[in-house]
Amino acid sequence: MNHNNFICGPGPMGYQSKVRVVDKYKVIGFISSGTYGRVYKAVGRQGQPGEFAIKKFKPDKEGEQSYVGISQSAIREMALCSELSHPNVIRLVETILEDKCIFMVFEYAEHDLLQIIHHHTQQPRHPIPPSTIKSIMFQLLNGCQYLHTNWVLHRDLKPANIMVTSAGEIKIGDLGLARLFWKPLHALFSGDKVVVTIWYRAPELLLGSKHYTPATDMWAVGCIFAELLSLRPIFKGEEAKMDNKKTVPFQRNQMQKIVDIMGLPTKDRWPLLPSMPDYTQLVTLQPPLGGQHHGHHYNHHRQALNTGHLEKWYYNTINQVSAGSGAAPPLASLGKEGYELLAGLLVYNPEKRLTAEQALQHPFFSTGPDKVSANCFEGLKTEYPHRRVSQDDNDIRTGSLPGTKRSGLPDDSLRPGKRLKE
Amino acid sequence: MAANYWASTQHKYWRFTQEQLAAMRQSLEDEDPTPVQAYPLPQQRHLNIFFNQQINRLAKRLSIRQQCLATAQMYIKRFYLKVEIRRTNPYLVMATAVYLACKMEESPQHIRMIVSEARQLWGHELQQLDTSKLGECEFFLISEMNSHLIIHQPYRTLTSLPSEIALSPEESSLAWSVINDHYMTDLPLIHPPHIIALTAILLAIVLRPSPAGSGGNNQAAGVATAASMLVQAQQSQARRRTSGTLTPGGSQGSSEQYPSDSPAEKKPSDPRMSKVVRFAAFLADSTFDIEAMIDTTQEILTFYECHEQFNAKLTQDQISRYVKARSLDK
Repeated sequence: MNHNNFICGPGPMGYQSKVRVVDKYKVIGFISSGTYGRVYKAVGRQGQPGEFAIKKFKPDKEGEQSYVGISQSAIREMALCSELSHPNVIRLVETILEDKCIFMVFEYAEHDLLQIIHHHTQQPRHPIPPSTIKSIMFQLLNGCQYLHTNWVLHRDLKPANIMVTSAGEIKIGDLGLARLFWKPLHALFSGDKVVVTIWYRAPELLLGSKHYTPATDMWAVGCIFAELLSLRPIFKGEEAKMDNKKTVPFQRNQMQKIVDIMGLPTKDRWPLLPSMPDYTQLVTLQPPLGGQHHGHHYNHHRQALNTGHLEKWYYNTINQVSAGSGAAPPLASLGKEGYELLAGLLVYNPEKRLTAEQALQHPFFSTGPDKVSANCFEGLKTEYPHRRVSQDDNDIRTGSLPGTKRSGLPDDSLRPGKRLKE
Repeated sequence: MAANYWASTQHKYWRFTQEQLAAMRQSLEDEDPTPVQAYPLPQQRHLNIFFNQQINRLAKRLSIRQQCLATAQMYIKRFYLKVEIRRTNPYLVMATAVYLACKMEESPQHIRMIVSEARQLWGHELQQLDTSKLGECEFFLISEMNSHLIIHQPYRTLTSLPSEIALSPEESSLAWSVINDHYMTDLPLIHPPHIIALTAILLAIVLRPSPAGSGGNNQAAGVATAASMLVQAQQSQARRRTSGTLTPGGSQGSSEQYPSDSPAEKKPSDPRMSKVVRFAAFLADSTFDIEAMIDTTQEILTFYECHEQFNAKLTQDQISRYVKARSLDK
């Protein structure tokens, strides 16, 4: 080997990393795998404090023996994460490029919102405490505001991507789909297929808009808020798969789920609605149930039903009494401010939707008995279960269990809305 | 931070003084002096011109945009601050920088397209190029740049100017080409992008219609005007600073504030001058680093002079010599 470490291996300009991931980190288990590769939990071997989550991007083809070029989403994540620095955005410690793989070393977060929500659905089902919800929402919005003021769109906000440390800090993670939106050479609507897991996908995207804006992220934040309240995805649609022609189908079922609660969008409140590419599809949707009993009376009732049921949904949700207890409904203290914030985020017209900055100023965070804490676990007596770490695959260098193979979709195409299996 | 230059990795890790740059390059050469002596290369500016011309050829074939080329040139600059050029095949580095820059600037090119075009264009040194070699070089590039891939460019400043110094389309395209040219200097490693943009605007105003090439006298006069105007703006800035009336970022300046020996009085009939005066007032009333603009003006002028001595054939031959001798084309 050449003394400089630069020239080695097969070719005269061969690459070898100056840092070796196994020299610097001790892998203590496997966390999860996704389309990009795998995530491992690790600790430092050289006295680095704390724990780490190492995200390993694999070459597209399993067992690839040569370099194939790094995917654009890995490039984005590496580049963006190196620039970002905010208490509510996951911190990148370093990136190591070694053996045709990319290892992104992040600070470790013990929990994520999906896991926390799931914990509360376990029998007996019990709501997330209101103070926790307030803190989570405030920190999540704070992270979003930081991203948006720095011209970063996350584009894939969902509970599984919102990390929570054991100190109760929210960390927005997985910026693999994130993009800068200042003067992109290719406008944000070209090139990419629609992103954002379908349940959190904003109506403008469902109606065919290819314009991603900060408001697109804010819809997802609204959906996450609703899910923290009810412990279920508020709009749990079924995804229509892409056909062979690679055209993105109209997600009728998902749009219907939104309409069921929100009512049909109207051009009074959303003037640009008729210019949406899939506007004509709207007539094929059923107006919300409750009121009309016969399909053919549909037009007759349509006007009256457009107000939607979000308010009813909200109060039903927060006034639910825990099974078997005679106590007051635990979420009732979130009050009307909670509804107003939710309704401000889940607005059809993206231009009227609350921005992260506006949402942070919302009375929801300054009124009511629950004060906003920087630790979302403050005052809780119970501890959430720790992240599952499996010992099946501790070899970060060669690990190749099934499930790491990409589905064959191009980089930015539809990501399946699958959730982590517990 | 992605949008905030002052919090960016570019500002934090990729800005140097001229002396630091010289020292870094010297220490790279000192690490392995034998090839450095055996294979002399043209001065850095000429190498940069060569890189610029070569990647422009590649870009034409693939219709790659200027902003990608600007980013690619920044990657090449950063890389060669960390790695001595004689250890590398510059054609491979150029092709890789363009490939990576296109991805980063959201105009991705397929790796096979880059490989096949680069092979056609630079077959003499890249006969054996394949996707694997390019992919490996991509790792090398990213690693040497510490994954700092977001580049802040001066172009954005041109489109966000206050109305009193708005540029005509002609001036704007001239400023744009000055910015293009500055990527062949060390300036993007020394000054922040808005300083480059402001200097490009100034030069566009005073140098119209031709920045380089014909009309050498005009150019010299233009640059002299620019330089004296900057010095005056700087003095005026200093006066206001001592009298405590400096308004940060303000641009309310009017021509009355401008010293009486302003260029406007020398050539009152020239409509160009009034714009120069307005721009001078804008600068005088700002907190921009005018010293840096003076420095930038001088470097750009030096660059244009130096450009005339550029010998593409010699540069190409000198690169070829060491690439072949050291088997870097294999």
